Amino acid sequence: MNVAIPKTKAEQALTEAFAASASKLPGGTAVKSARNDAIGAFSALGLPHRRIEEWKYTDLRVNFKDVAPPAIDDATAVSAEDVRAALGSVANVDVHAVVFVNGRHRKDLSTPGAMAGLEVQPLAGALTSGSDAVTEGLTTTTGPRSDATIALNTAFMTDGAVVRIGNGATLDKPLMVVFVTAGPRAHLTSVRNVISAGDGSTATLIEAHVALQGAATGGQTNTLSEVTTGKGAALTHIKIAAGTNAAVHLANWNVSLGANAEYRGFQYTSGQALARNQIHTVYTGPGGKLDLSGAYLVRGNEHVDTTLVVDHAVPQCESRELFKDVLDDRGRGIFQGKIIVRPNAQKTDGKQMAQALMLSPDAEFDSKPELEIYADDVVCGHGTTSAELDGDLLFYCKSRGIPENEARALLIESFVGEALDKVEHDDLRAALSQYATVWLNAPRS
Amino acid sequence: MTEPTWAKVHYPKIDFQDQYYYSAPKSTSAPSSLDEVDPQLLETYKKLGIPLKEQELLAGVKSSQVAVDAVFDSVSVVTTFKAELKKAGVIFCSFSEAVREHPELVKKYLGSVVPQSDNYYAALNAAVFSDGSFVYVPPEGVRCPMELSTYFRINEKNTGQFERTLIIAERGAYVSYLEGCTAPTRDENQLHAAVVELVAMDEAEIKYSTVQNWYPGDKNGKGGIYNFVTKRGDCRGHHSRISWTQVETGSAITWKYPSCILRGDYSRGEFYSIAVSNGYQQVDSGTKMIHLGKNSSSRIISKGIAAGRSQNTYRGLVSAHRKATNVRNFTNCDSLLIGDKCGAHTVPYIEAKNSSAHFEHEATTSKISDDMLFYCRQRGLSSEEAVALVVNGFVRDVLQHLPMEFMAETQKLIGISLEGSVG
Repeated sequence: MNVAIPKTKAEQALTEAFAASASKLPGGTAVKSARNDAIGAFSALGLPHRRIEEWKYTDLRVNFKDVAPPAIDDATAVSAEDVRAALGSVANVDVHAVVFVNGRHRKDLSTPGAMAGLEVQPLAGALTSGSDAVTEGLTTTTGPRSDATIALNTAFMTDGAVVRIGNGATLDKPLMVVFVTAGPRAHLTSVRNVISAGDGSTATLIEAHVALQGAATGGQTNTLSEVTTGKGAALTHIKIAAGTNAAVHLANWNVSLGANAEYRGFQYTSGQALARNQIHTVYTGPGGKLDLSGAYLVRGNEHVDTTLVVDHAVPQCESRELFKDVLDDRGRGIFQGKIIVRPNAQKTDGKQMAQALMLSPDAEFDSKPELEIYADDVVCGHGTTSAELDGDLLFYCKSRGIPENEARALLIESFVGEALDKVEHDDLRAALSQYATVWLNAPRS
Repeated sequence: MTEPTWAKVHYPKIDFQDQYYYSAPKSTSAPSSLDEVDPQLLETYKKLGIPLKEQELLAGVKSSQVAVDAVFDSVSVVTTFKAELKKAGVIFCSFSEAVREHPELVKKYLGSVVPQSDNYYAALNAAVFSDGSFVYVPPEGVRCPMELSTYFRINEKNTGQFERTLIIAERGAYVSYLEGCTAPTRDENQLHAAVVELVAMDEAEIKYSTVQNWYPGDKNGKGGIYNFVTKRGDCRGHHSRISWTQVETGSAITWKYPSCILRGDYSRGEFYSIAVSNGYQQVDSGTKMIHLGKNSSSRIISKGIAAGRSQNTYRGLVSAHRKATNVRNFTNCDSLLIGDKCGAHTVPYIEAKNSSAHFEHEATTSKISDDMLFYCRQRGLSSEEAVALVVNGFVRDVLQHLPMEFMAETQKLIGISLEGSVG
């Protein structure tokens, strides 16, 4: 249908905000032109709505009404202690940390110790000083071409981490990129990480999006991670989006896997008013292994959407997905997972599972696992389930003398635990498990 | 309304001005002997081994215990066993007759499950439908004494077929209905846009089985029927039950989603499907189970077999309304791929709007195991026989839900459909 849809207030506000702030955004001529192209593309696309199949369950025209002013050169005072407090149990994990506050790199808060084979640079600097070839790599993505959230990220991105892991390098401890939302004013924060793991390298990267105590509510984050893994590289990538400030969190991961590379991705989301986690992965060489998993804790009126595409473009690759949603109150969980097996991608092995546990009668779970298969010598499958807590299990626990609320917590933790077990780093897994416990014990709204 | 484009089917744009919306068969009485039947069709019957019920009808065999309504082109030509059915109080007649004889029933129920504005092809059907079948089973536990069957055939060149079926099972009634579809070989693509409405009141049960063998086009993908069908059952009463069983082997394009609206408490919907595609066939089929009543349950078993250059898609929806507590669904859709030029896709939508809904969905896609084929070949079966054997094993869960008389034929039909897919 070619019916012209009138622009929403938010769409107009975004275009106007870009016009007002374009001159202050980092980057040379090539970057500026990429930004202009992106906002042009966004104007043509508009905010995605439910008539677009991929956005059937998450209508941004409805859910993204007011646009906060873009955060540019924000100088909110934040101390290292504040960041530790915001990170909670994850602060105790031994990592190299790179900290960004309201979309701006903060050297004073970062502890990026020197590691052989690791190069970390703030994106703002790379966009400004990099050659055209470098900046082109930083402004293009392997993600879907006509995605409005990606276009907005390209247009507005202020900073992020450019991470290069050298060929054969093995990082001694994880690198954590922390994005902190702080201050009394709500912002639209747009950040981008560009991560490349060299051939045969091994690394763990944590991406944490947290809010300081007392940060303004109603903020918006648009984050994108562009990940490329070389031949035989092993990369673990963990994203934590844990907020308390009812924010909108639009996230994209665009991952391309080299031959025999192994990529383990995990996402933890809680406390977001609206979260859309998009993951787009493509294999560029045979023998790639992908393991994606996630735990989403949703309550109140929160809305968490996970949409992923696994594109088996080459033969002999493997993919595994396991996603768990815990839905309380009027929380809404959405899972859309598509496995594509291209005509020549023989010997593909793909399995996908999405499960929801509904704790309240008003919760809602929508799931759309998809298989699109054009090759015959494949083993592919998907499963999805949704249910409330099993009464029999609850009864069993109670009959063993465990009080009802403890029994419930136990069962919920074991449900989420299956996904958390995918995190191989012991301290981090324990920290995330602590997150889940805190969430469970939080006073009900 | 605009033509829907979301299905994974591709075809040249249909010129709806260039369709023949009504065609009467050349003689209004049934053909008197098998000689009048398309020889290619007879050959297929021969391969099937067992004469189809349709063939018996054509041959004038009256001993069969299946009541048949035959719709040729746009007109219902003959309905058998009317008197016997009448004794039980069951009305089984052509749609045109129902309009004349039972206008009050037609008025009450027509369009109540599939309104004329439901979708593009339902609207087309509502505008131009000419005939079809009508079944009414009266209340208080009447069991229809025999299987009812309708046989649809497009004989005339260049015509489309737009029939309408309406089945009403009153309180406690039971009816089993089978439709068979076929068309002789034609070069042009022909359009078939039917609407089927089922209404099951309290404790009623309707079993609807389809064996669809429309002409699928030749081996180069030329010709064949475009099958755009809207089928929906409404479980209006408590403890009502509607079961769809379909065997889809024909048609160049199949666009068909037999659905159940589970309105009554404790109602049950079932969907069993075998979709076989070969050559250049495109199948986009599945079901919708819309749970509105408390404690309603549904079950979906779909088996897709893609061979040659065909594309076979399962597309389904399972949803639970906010107030539909304790609903259950189990979905299993498996796809089998034969050859590396075909595609098998699964697009399920699962929407649970309350926490007491228990939904399970699983889907798998794989090819026929070489070990199995090797074993069969070693036992002296040809590769085609081996494939047919393995495929029949794959679809067994669904075959069991077909009425007895049609199980054996269907097995053979699947074998015939897959001819030329291996080697």
